[in-house]
Amino acid sequence: MTELAYYPGCSLHSTAKELDSSFDGSMTKLGIDLTEIPGWECCGNTAGHSTNRLLSTALPANELAKVKDDMKLASVAVPCAACYNRFQIANHEVGDAGVAADVAEVVGRPYGGDVKVLNLVDVYHDEVGLEALRAKVVRPFDGLRVASYYGCLLSRPPKATLAEHPEYPVHMDAVVEAIGCTPVEWDAKTDCCGASLALCEQGVVDELVKAIIANARDRGAEAITCACPLCQINLDSRQIEIKKADPAWIDMPILYLSQMVGRALGVSDKQLGLKKALVDVQGVLACASRSSGAAPTGRSASRE
Amino acid sequence: MGEAVTVQLSGSLAARVRSGSGVNPYLCYQCKKCSTGCPVAPFADVHPAQVMRAVQMGDESMSVDSKFIWLCTGCETCTTRCPLSIDIAAVMDQLRMIAREDSRVRKDMPFARILNINYESFKRWGRLFEGELVLLDLLKRPKAALEYTTLGPKMMAKGKMSLLPGFGDRKQMKKMVRAAERIEELRRAEAKASATGKTPGASGASAAGGSAP
Repeated sequence: MTELAYYPGCSLHSTAKELDSSFDGSMTKLGIDLTEIPGWECCGNTAGHSTNRLLSTALPANELAKVKDDMKLASVAVPCAACYNRFQIANHEVGDAGVAADVAEVVGRPYGGDVKVLNLVDVYHDEVGLEALRAKVVRPFDGLRVASYYGCLLSRPPKATLAEHPEYPVHMDAVVEAIGCTPVEWDAKTDCCGASLALCEQGVVDELVKAIIANARDRGAEAITCACPLCQINLDSRQIEIKKADPAWIDMPILYLSQMVGRALGVSDKQLGLKKALVDVQGVLACASRSSGAAPTGRSASRE
Repeated sequence: MGEAVTVQLSGSLAARVRSGSGVNPYLCYQCKKCSTGCPVAPFADVHPAQVMRAVQMGDESMSVDSKFIWLCTGCETCTTRCPLSIDIAAVMDQLRMIAREDSRVRKDMPFARILNINYESFKRWGRLFEGELVLLDLLKRPKAALEYTTLGPKMMAKGKMSLLPGFGDRKQMKKMVRAAERIEELRRAEAKASATGKTPGASGASAAGGSAP
């Protein structure tokens, strides 16, 4: 059994509980043992890096030092894209000797940047691997057309995230394909959803969200999958407000990648937290997967 | 015909941005790739390339005082696409810090205060307490309650908003915050001392030298 350190981050204990529970469920099915970092602290998020640069590097470095020295593990799973980004930036920044010395003083011990940080896509695509994932699928999607939404923080800036391609990454597409979905090519894959501006600049966020969802729909997507609590909450919850101004708006279900993978692996609906979405996701899932058996095939021609 | 504008060039803002972020703002040659890719530029008063030019010229009104720096989501599209690899998003972060340091944070940009509440919240509990963030923001901005009326209760009903904080290792958090704030303060003082020692003077370009990449 593979063992990974696990850093849930603040959102996975509040607004993104279903990301936590569905990720956990999928890991159990895939035979990966998650051990939560003891006494983990906030990664510092946007407020950290726009207030105190050193602290914003030291906070994730402190967690990574715990993984290496206390837990004796080589890799940590960080499903929240925002936390993942801060962790990767810390790994990158401690490459500078001056920064590393300051960080060591703040954290209380040195950290060399050598713990591997895995985001949600990395865990399924690299740690588990597509073949192994495909072999564990018990409830394949019947060709559901899905837009893989990366947003910002999984891929940018590439010097830190080491993303496969900062403008058009495709590993998430490969993961959804492995569970029987049909990934769609689209244009807004790495566009910004407005992130925490949703707390105070709803007008801006609504415009960004509308453009992202409209593009996915125009490209034939029946659902959008994502791997970031901010992306999920904005794309999902802002539709409630968008609908008020635009009665012709067609709902777009927004699912975490872990919910889709978990569903294909047979994780219960309750553990997937499907009822937590404000825009219904159960309808599209009900008509998109068979209840058991056979390997995933191409998408059904009769849909629509 | 527009009126001619006279700008007094000053290198001190660029020097402050550079000492805090490690970014040399003079590398920018105004290609505007940052602005064309910026998701919030259409909603702001200025766009990222203008902010970069303002920093080069020492114009604080179009940079430190701009609405833009409080609309930036930190999406890093600008940083990723810049042909000179300038970390533009880090410049925006630095301008926020300068605005706070000089007590000239715009009162009409609620995101500025939300960031402060957020920072204090994770300092206090070791983890960000989202319920507290929303509540403290509402106290200062009661009108925002209107925006929360439909979504707030829905989120509560879905169990997406916790009424109690989660606790990280608060002792370690306190220790790290204290050390990081002390070191950053020291760095700022050092930068100030070296800037006054050299005196960049009226020419912006004089601060552009050094070991730029």
